[in-house]
Amino acid sequence: MRASFVGAGLTCSLLALSAAWAQTPTPAEGQPPAAEAPAATTPAADAAPAATGAAPADASATSAAPAGGQTHGQRAAAEAAAALAAGEDDEPVILDAPAPNSRRVYVNDSAHFASLTQQFAIDTEEGRVIGMTDSGFLPNPVVSDDGSVYAQVSTTYSRISRGEREDYVEVFDPVTFNPVADITIPPEGHRFLVGTYPWMSALTPDNKTLLYYQFSPAPAVGVVDLEGKAFRRMLEVPDCYHIFPTAADNFFMHCRDGSLARVQFDAASDAEPQVTHSEVFHPEDEYVVNHPAYSQKSGRLVWPTYEGKIYQFDLSSGEAKALNTIEGLTEEERADNWRPGGWQLVAYHRPSNRIYMLVDQRAEWTHKTPSRHVVVINADTGERIARHELGHGIDSVAVSQDDDPLLYGLSTGAKTLYIYDAETGEELRSVNQLGHGPTVISLSDMG
Amino acid sequence: MTFAAKTRTLLTALALTALGTQMALADKISILTETPAPAAEAPADAVIVNIAKMKYETPEVTIKPGQTVTWINTEAMPHNVAFKAGVVGDAKMDGAMMKKDQSYSITFNEAGTYAYHCTPHPFMKAKVIVE
Repeated sequence: MRASFVGAGLTCSLLALSAAWAQTPTPAEGQPPAAEAPAATTPAADAAPAATGAAPADASATSAAPAGGQTHGQRAAAEAAAALAAGEDDEPVILDAPAPNSRRVYVNDSAHFASLTQQFAIDTEEGRVIGMTDSGFLPNPVVSDDGSVYAQVSTTYSRISRGEREDYVEVFDPVTFNPVADITIPPEGHRFLVGTYPWMSALTPDNKTLLYYQFSPAPAVGVVDLEGKAFRRMLEVPDCYHIFPTAADNFFMHCRDGSLARVQFDAASDAEPQVTHSEVFHPEDEYVVNHPAYSQKSGRLVWPTYEGKIYQFDLSSGEAKALNTIEGLTEEERADNWRPGGWQLVAYHRPSNRIYMLVDQRAEWTHKTPSRHVVVINADTGERIARHELGHGIDSVAVSQDDDPLLYGLSTGAKTLYIYDAETGEELRSVNQLGHGPTVISLSDMG
Repeated sequence: MTFAAKTRTLLTALALTALGTQMALADKISILTETPAPAAEAPADAVIVNIAKMKYETPEVTIKPGQTVTWINTEAMPHNVAFKAGVVGDAKMDGAMMKKDQSYSITFNEAGTYAYHCTPHPFMKAKVIVE
């Protein structure tokens, strides 16, 4: 269905508006312009507001990259002008997003602790926003590996940032972005309000249950039945943090004593969860970061320290099997003050078994400042494969889980997602204006 | 995650929820003063529980109804005494934070077991048994 320039501009669809934002163009290659139009002379690519009001001819298109050096906005303007010249009527519609694929990412903007926040769904192949969802205070987004479930655990108050608090889980249709479930969490299950750690909320592998963390008054994990659309219960757990599910009734956590806890539970009964601990795997003065990478599909947990040592586990069997610990930085680099840093500072590419870690030269205790480099490491051997200079201060990194992956670098300061070729480190395109302070990238492992 | 970093993060998170905290007092307990007192002013007949090195030094004390327990924080890290909902009343009760050398006293009026924790450090747990 076509939505022409004027008509889509008149709709209130955020999809239409956001999809029209101009993005950094792909280098000239590929197909010719869709239509001859004066839009080819529109302002520079980074003047995003210039294109506001223009809509893509068909936002559901998943075809090739932007054509011939034109931005999406320029191409849309050209197509709209051509449609107008041809006398086509404007038929405003609410657009659907394309079906989820391995190159869709969700960027979470927690907006520096603002009460209201947004998530951006981005087609990184095209470099364009294809949808947005609103949310409350410090939401935790979760996305299933098959792309079918996109949900967030969120918090709102009856008077913006004061009044009665309500926590809830909201599940969205990943094409229409309409909510398909809205599940209230009772006050005793109120969640942990913290800067967004992706693994403070997680789906079980069957996508039927969402688990989230509660810090106060005592460590606990909330169980939400997505299939039955109901809050089930809180599980009392030891003094442990994060949630890494491995089965419908099993997950792991990291404990203050330096061990991993295995938690087996029955969502349907009041039975106490069965908890067993692994050996303590890191000493007290080795600090592991808040943003480990976890591949639910392979069960691999990748957990760097402040100094770039990387602990790894295979959780796939339901037992925590320690894998070889590797050094993400060379001895020379460490001596030269290279350390990891950022927010979501490590990513794992399952098909190639590679680790991507944000690093830079930095003083101790600056581990949350952005990094300008990413190191690529063979997860089994620790062999250094590459160190890419990213050209920007990057806070969060992720990698698409296809065989020819894209590397994503999110700059909280620039509010921009930079999209790179993961093999070469070449910057391909970018998507800007992603809220106030975007920090977290979520994606599906569809392979 | 480092303990220090974790603590800072958690303190931030808790500060954000502090406005929602309800200081529900029940007949089960009486609080001598809402704000912490100097340690030297602890009641003479109180059972003392010192706090040091991220622990309540006496994790379990047994007293009679009407007796008072005084907690004294001996370190710079602030700590408090907090009860989950249903322990001393329907609502939860978060005592005021004690800085170093400050005390906080609670008189326990009814028999029972009163489990408590430190609000920003939920791994700090202990109990008062009144019998």
